[in-house]
Amino acid sequence: MLTELSAYTNRWRSVSPVAKGLFSLCGTGAAFTASSPRTALLVAFILSATAIVGAGVTPMRYLRVAIPALFFLLVSALSLLVSLEFSRNATFGVSFHLAITELPRIAQLCCRSLACLTALLFLALTTPLSDIISLLRRCRLPDTLLDLMILCYRTLFVLSEAVHETITAQSARLGYATTRLSIRSLGGLIANLAIQVWQRSQALHLAALARNNDGALRFLEREYPKSTSSISCAAIAGVLLIVLAGALP
Amino acid sequence: MTDTILSLCDVSYRYPDGTSALSNCSLTIRRGSRTAVLGANGAGKTTMFLHLNGILRPSAGQVCWEETPLDYSRSQLRHLRSRIGLVFQNPDSQLFSASVREDVSFGPMNLGLTEKHVRERVEEALITVGMGTFADKPVHNLSYGQKKRVCIAGVLAMQPQVIVLDEPMAGLDATMQEEFTAVLERLHDSGMTIIVATHDLDFAYGWADEAIILKSGQVLAHGIPTETLQQRDVQQELGAAPLVAEITQRLSLIGIDLRDKDYLPRSKSELLKAISAHTRQENKP
Repeated sequence: MLTELSAYTNRWRSVSPVAKGLFSLCGTGAAFTASSPRTALLVAFILSATAIVGAGVTPMRYLRVAIPALFFLLVSALSLLVSLEFSRNATFGVSFHLAITELPRIAQLCCRSLACLTALLFLALTTPLSDIISLLRRCRLPDTLLDLMILCYRTLFVLSEAVHETITAQSARLGYATTRLSIRSLGGLIANLAIQVWQRSQALHLAALARNNDGALRFLEREYPKSTSSISCAAIAGVLLIVLAGALP
Repeated sequence: MTDTILSLCDVSYRYPDGTSALSNCSLTIRRGSRTAVLGANGAGKTTMFLHLNGILRPSAGQVCWEETPLDYSRSQLRHLRSRIGLVFQNPDSQLFSASVREDVSFGPMNLGLTEKHVRERVEEALITVGMGTFADKPVHNLSYGQKKRVCIAGVLAMQPQVIVLDEPMAGLDATMQEEFTAVLERLHDSGMTIIVATHDLDFAYGWADEAIILKSGQVLAHGIPTETLQQRDVQQELGAAPLVAEITQRLSLIGIDLRDKDYLPRSKSELLKAISAHTRQENKP
């Protein structure tokens, strides 16, 4: 989990999540304020540079986390650029058209999306999810939604461990030796996981009861030293970024 | 204040699928005692523990807290669960939050304490189990033994009078087991009543004040480990005898009596000490 690793080991780990959330939000705001693709690219550059230079996220790790999202962005851009037309006259009954006239709008949309992506990456790579959840709790997001987030996040690691263990056990008994066996083992893995999910949810329910839980999952929030000054800094930097994005053509 | 803190009177329990887990099970737990619960897999240890905390309600019989039968009202269950802490066997099934500090705070937050109090209790509990420096670490990066400690801290932060641990030594290496025993010792010294389910006969023999042996949901034997664990039917049920007890007995058969004013060595170190003392006495001119 590269995102997780970076969130816990970056230089700004102890900076208040409110400050980081605010800067990320301003980054998104700046992405929308940017009126040209060039300005949106500049915003994206500033946001990624802040994560790499400021928070100390290694460029390679940043790129590895960003690549899947960039791939989706590329696919979306291509699907906007290329349009399909079904006609009898065309070879194979389908003709392709490049929307050249739409190119400036597509470029604007993609660069803006890229800037938004870097704003989100800034938050995700510098702030652990538990901090983001407590930030969302402060923003008065519904408890049920947050409880689901907490449980999903925790269960993700438990299940990923269970998946690895099961695959190792299956491979040790030649479970993936042939394509036929692989399909069979995969079915077994899914069935086994379904049962494990059910058993674990039962166990978690019992554990919650044993610790006097009566509904919502309540946890202590982490205290951050000098949070007022870091929030002020983030607010100033964020506003400057929006102003810059708005001022540039 | 009564000497008996918890008791089960003729408790029977049948799971919805028809499996009988406890049948006419009666036992008492003394305040401040160290009790080891032993029994084969499926003997009813975990089911009994779930009854102690009020999670399961007996099909027949009564569970009593300080000699008062439980009525399973919401307020009484709340009171009971804040007095009796239950630590399950698998740490991954009971850790909710991604961060150590957050997870330990879960119980005290449920008690409705102020944030300041919760914070103090969390720090104290983490220090007690030796995890003070891991407070801000993510739970999934901890080792199995560390996760177990976090589970105990989560229960300790609720400051219970009784702590019930379901096979705490399972999956721990020798060093971790030793550290764990030291944690249990500290808790006992602070006056806490400790109940431990275990398959480790040597640990039960050396550590516990009382041993309860379960067989098919019933109490087969209950008493001082040096007596109960030497019973033939108990040894047959558990499939073995404590090593220290066996060595002491074999030595007595060849004329080496290691008893010191009726006190039998209960652990490896006590046994070695007794052998050294005996040898010194033999070599005296």
